[in-house]
Amino acid sequence: MENASKSPLANEPLLRIEGVSKIYDGHIKAVDQVTLNVASGEIFALLGGSGCGKSTLLRMLAGFETPSQGRIYLGGTDITELPAYQRPINMMFQSYALFPHLSVSDNIAFGLRRDGMAKESIAERVEAMLKLVQLSQYGKRKPHQLSGGQQQRVALARSIAKQPKLLLLDEPLGALDKKLRVSTQIELVNIIEEVGVTCVLVTHDQEEAMTMATRMAVMSAGSFLQVGSPKDIYQQPNSRQVADFIGSVNIFDGLVKENHTDYVLVQCADALLRAPSNQACHLGMAVGVAIRPEKMALSRKKPTAKVNHVAGVVVEMAYFGAHTSYHVKLASGKVLQVQVQSQADEDNADLSWGDAVYASWGDSAMVLLTQ
Amino acid sequence: MNSTALKWFGRSWMLLVYAFLFLPIFTLVAYSFNDSQLVTVWSHASLRWYKALMHDSDLIAAVMLSFKIAFLSALVSVFFGLFSAFALHRYRRFTGRGLLSSLASTPLVMPDVIVGLSLLLMLVSAQQALGYPERGLLTILLGHTLLGTAYATVVVRSRLTEMDSKLEEAAMDLGCRPWQVFTLVTLPLLMPALLSAFLLTFTLSFDDVVLSSFLSGPGYSTMPMVIFSRARLGLNPSINALATVTIVVVSVVVIASTLYSLRQERQRKRDMAYRD
Repeated sequence: MENASKSPLANEPLLRIEGVSKIYDGHIKAVDQVTLNVASGEIFALLGGSGCGKSTLLRMLAGFETPSQGRIYLGGTDITELPAYQRPINMMFQSYALFPHLSVSDNIAFGLRRDGMAKESIAERVEAMLKLVQLSQYGKRKPHQLSGGQQQRVALARSIAKQPKLLLLDEPLGALDKKLRVSTQIELVNIIEEVGVTCVLVTHDQEEAMTMATRMAVMSAGSFLQVGSPKDIYQQPNSRQVADFIGSVNIFDGLVKENHTDYVLVQCADALLRAPSNQACHLGMAVGVAIRPEKMALSRKKPTAKVNHVAGVVVEMAYFGAHTSYHVKLASGKVLQVQVQSQADEDNADLSWGDAVYASWGDSAMVLLTQ
Repeated sequence: MNSTALKWFGRSWMLLVYAFLFLPIFTLVAYSFNDSQLVTVWSHASLRWYKALMHDSDLIAAVMLSFKIAFLSALVSVFFGLFSAFALHRYRRFTGRGLLSSLASTPLVMPDVIVGLSLLLMLVSAQQALGYPERGLLTILLGHTLLGTAYATVVVRSRLTEMDSKLEEAAMDLGCRPWQVFTLVTLPLLMPALLSAFLLTFTLSFDDVVLSSFLSGPGYSTMPMVIFSRARLGLNPSINALATVTIVVVSVVVIASTLYSLRQERQRKRDMAYRD
């Protein structure tokens, strides 16, 4: 069967989600018409706030929920109706869900035993998994005898022990404290890449999504706002919501004053902006212009250009070592966030609360948001 | 009142409460070694009533019957309690769920007298209509199981509510069919609850006198029933001996289980200390 399905579906992505919806009580759309392809080897992140439908989508992939509409294909096979225990998909749960009555080794062996694997092979695999997550001496312990970070590694070992085609991670670092998270993120990605398993992860933490994922989707109200690489989404958000959700951002509201082939002039309350654009705009259209705080520069001198700068007063500043963060209040009352690299900041070394400054930036720093 | 006086007041109050609770039991134990015919008059120490107890075949039969009924009804109660609790916990919507839920807890709040009386009326009419069941062991078992199932359901259900539902999902995710989820994950995790449900329903059955009185037939008297009926005729000191034996047995079980759980707790603490 595998040979037959291989040739015509050579370009078939590993996971194909087609128009999947989950509707509760006849009208509550938890997931709304989601279509997505995930290629083999990808680490794909579903990012969104609570109640955006990301967890429901993940649970449908795992087989704990059945889609109300649409189909899910894994390696070309329709798995929409397949029960969870027959899917070659494993999940690492947010609270780890380690079986408290079983030892670490038995937890890892649990899925292998269900497959009727030979005893010696199970022992071998468990040993290899323990080594992979660096818990070789801990096999005989019970889960409650381990620290949070160790439990998380056991959960990971258990979910990849069966060598699933697809690994699902539900808020993989959600239960760890912040200090552990950063080191664990990298460790987790290393293990996933070493095993080479395709991965779909759910998170509400944009930093987590950006460091771990090769591609991600920003979700809201059951549908995708934008799908792309973390870099694309950060630098080219396609809507206010996405720009707002990913990192900090300054958004200027204004009206289109001039419409050119590759840029538009936007008149805002505080400035005239020349934003690159390839989107259809018409004169007088209300648009937003997003600028990341780190792409702005501060100066006491008024910039010579006619566009892309604003005047304001420093109302807040914080030194973070590598960079300094300023809040600049504009004439309109809007407060701008500006982040300046400490090295580049020598001429601003004496900037202080209440100083009048100009913030400026280049054309390419701006992203035009029409929705 | 100054603090020393308050302290002494507190201590003597506590002593008084303990005396009230335990003095009757100690008196009973002491008088079981009394040689006198009269329960209330001390003559000298002897094991006379223990010997009498050994030859009191009625009483021994009653004790054996009580054990049998308590064991069987506890077993059946825990079995039914497990499944009714599981159904109520797992299936949020089915016809008659509300009815089952309230029926399962009704025996907890209904006075035993009323439960016993209504059961008796039902069983009598069943016997008239079908010629079955004869009142005796089976009918007492039915009554005790009814009560026990209600208690077992409550105990098991509260444990199920505490249990992380993700554990069952994880089991399914790792390839367990629904019945394997139940036998490999749910059941082992419920074991402590099942054990305490068993002990509770066993005790309930063992010292029940109301239901048994309504439901028993000729030749089927449980231990509490025998003690109760003899107490009305004037107590025989061999009852003291029986009570002492019961107290010793219960104390041994309680102390053993306390020691066991203490050891478990200490083990758990030591495990926690291992964490790094």
